[in-house]
Amino acid sequence: MSVVGSMNTFIADLHDLDRLVEVARSRYSVYAPVRRGRGYVFSKIEGMSDTDLRYNRTILPPTKIFHRPKEVLLRFQLADGPEFGEVVEVEPMMIFGVHACDLNAILRLDRFFTRRFEDPYYLARRRGSVVVALNCNGPRDEYCFCASLGTGPTVYGGYDILLTEVRDRMFLVEAGSEIGANLIDEARFRRASMSDMEAKKAVASTAKREFRRYADFRSLSYPVIEVLAHTVWDEEADKCFSCGNCSLVCPTCYCYEIYDTLDMDLNSGFRVRRLDSCQLYGYAEVALGGNFRKSRKARLRHWMVCKFGGAAGGELSSCVGCGRCIFYCPARIDITSVASRLREAV
Amino acid sequence: MTNPYIPMKAEIVSIKTETRDIKTFRLKPLGGKLKFEAGQFVEVSVFGVGEAPISISSDPDVDDYFELSVRRVGSVTGALFKLSEGAIIGVRGPYGRGWPLKESEGMDVLIVGGGCGAAPLRPAILKLLRSRDRYGRIELLYGARTPSDVMYMEEFEAIAEGSGCRVLLTVDTIAPDNRWRYSVGVVTSLFDKISVNPFRSVALVCGPEIMMMYAVRDLLRLGFKPENIYLSMERRMRCGLGFCGHCQIGRKYVCLDGPVFSYSEIAPMPDKIV
Repeated sequence: MSVVGSMNTFIADLHDLDRLVEVARSRYSVYAPVRRGRGYVFSKIEGMSDTDLRYNRTILPPTKIFHRPKEVLLRFQLADGPEFGEVVEVEPMMIFGVHACDLNAILRLDRFFTRRFEDPYYLARRRGSVVVALNCNGPRDEYCFCASLGTGPTVYGGYDILLTEVRDRMFLVEAGSEIGANLIDEARFRRASMSDMEAKKAVASTAKREFRRYADFRSLSYPVIEVLAHTVWDEEADKCFSCGNCSLVCPTCYCYEIYDTLDMDLNSGFRVRRLDSCQLYGYAEVALGGNFRKSRKARLRHWMVCKFGGAAGGELSSCVGCGRCIFYCPARIDITSVASRLREAV
Repeated sequence: MTNPYIPMKAEIVSIKTETRDIKTFRLKPLGGKLKFEAGQFVEVSVFGVGEAPISISSDPDVDDYFELSVRRVGSVTGALFKLSEGAIIGVRGPYGRGWPLKESEGMDVLIVGGGCGAAPLRPAILKLLRSRDRYGRIELLYGARTPSDVMYMEEFEAIAEGSGCRVLLTVDTIAPDNRWRYSVGVVTSLFDKISVNPFRSVALVCGPEIMMMYAVRDLLRLGFKPENIYLSMERRMRCGLGFCGHCQIGRKYVCLDGPVFSYSEIAPMPDKIV
């Protein structure tokens, strides 16, 4: 069903959006960017006054609302058994104000977690949720580089509702799904005028011109020898702390560890998964202390090549240009400058 | 949607001690059968301790039970070693791509095993011998550290007796008083004695990665084609589902694309020894 066109395009100010949040809150927990210290986090909101739609980026990406940093997979007990059963914690959620980069990351993980096998934990949360995307009017700050990767600043699909700030605190509202259309309907927005829709087009065309940071990751892949053997890895590895921040904040990093925890009664317990990082020493360990990425260089290279789309996850684990890894790197390692060094060689 | 993380229960029906640190567990799946191909692996759960990826070592054509030959190397395998007959563990799988047995019909087959690398090779050997007439020459080379580290000893000797498969065994070292009837030296030192034709032969190789590196080097020198040398790779497959990331070698997931790879597929990838 096509829901594009003026009949389905609305205009809303912050009061109107408050009504949307109010309507949504009867069915969903509404998560939106909330100021926390010097950053932002996706956190539960009660109304528009809790959120700031001009946020630059959240510390953790919204993909990690669906693919939780830590979650229980199953519960077990040992006596008379073992007996075990799945634990899937699902909360119907509306994720409000998702930028194009982060939305593209969500769409990649949707595909990643439904390849040969399906991940029921991610999918249960994702399928029960609603995404309200928010177009960017330009780079949010100097770290953004989605425009050169084609993952922003404008959203072209995969949302339930899409917001574009067309004038000061006035948002063009479009539905991208039936659920989104119904929510908008209940929130009783005014229909957008032709000039509102023209304004959105103008926003989209000026937005991508303002980017100053640029990246081109094409053909920077395994097993291209010029990529593997480049000296830039030695130089960057000298700076790297192997802290794992880059992969923790990355919207397309999903790698995880699975382990059991046993309660104090030594009878019942949980099997847990927790985000892991290829930057940490233990990630590529095997039995008897073997480790296939002992060196920091090998680990850093693996992470970046993965973000270039050249590792096993392919484009589904590749970079969306959100800028988090650059902003949060304590060693100021910059994936865009590493890539441009490599591009000179390939 | 079925949850692929939830194991199936399996009962340990018997335990055979192979060497001082390798045991073979025969398992009966409870409430289902485990259909598998030679070279695939399962995720074994000892609840409260965790999961570990283990190759299936039994005959793929027997589906009342399956066997896992396990070397005690870590927490899960250590916990497994403390269990007795009748204990219930969890198993999920099978996972991965096994040995290319169908594709190798009409060719000679050279099997090269080192240490507990014999475990994922055993289903292939049993399967090859069952369809013996579909293959040319079959030879099995197996090496272990010492005579007491040789697994499947009686079985290898029985295979050598009949069934049209030459068996060559070797150990790295022997004690001065040891009575060992076979060769001494690393497994690649047996390559001088092979009679398969390298130009129309596949090689199925499994062992420590350093051993596989030397084996591949020598096999290439003998004239084996890179695409006919198959290796079973060891990585820490945490999920077996292509999600957790730990088993990546370059662009490959060992759990989905492997664990068996041709050398030509894996050779250009980084972060490996072979």
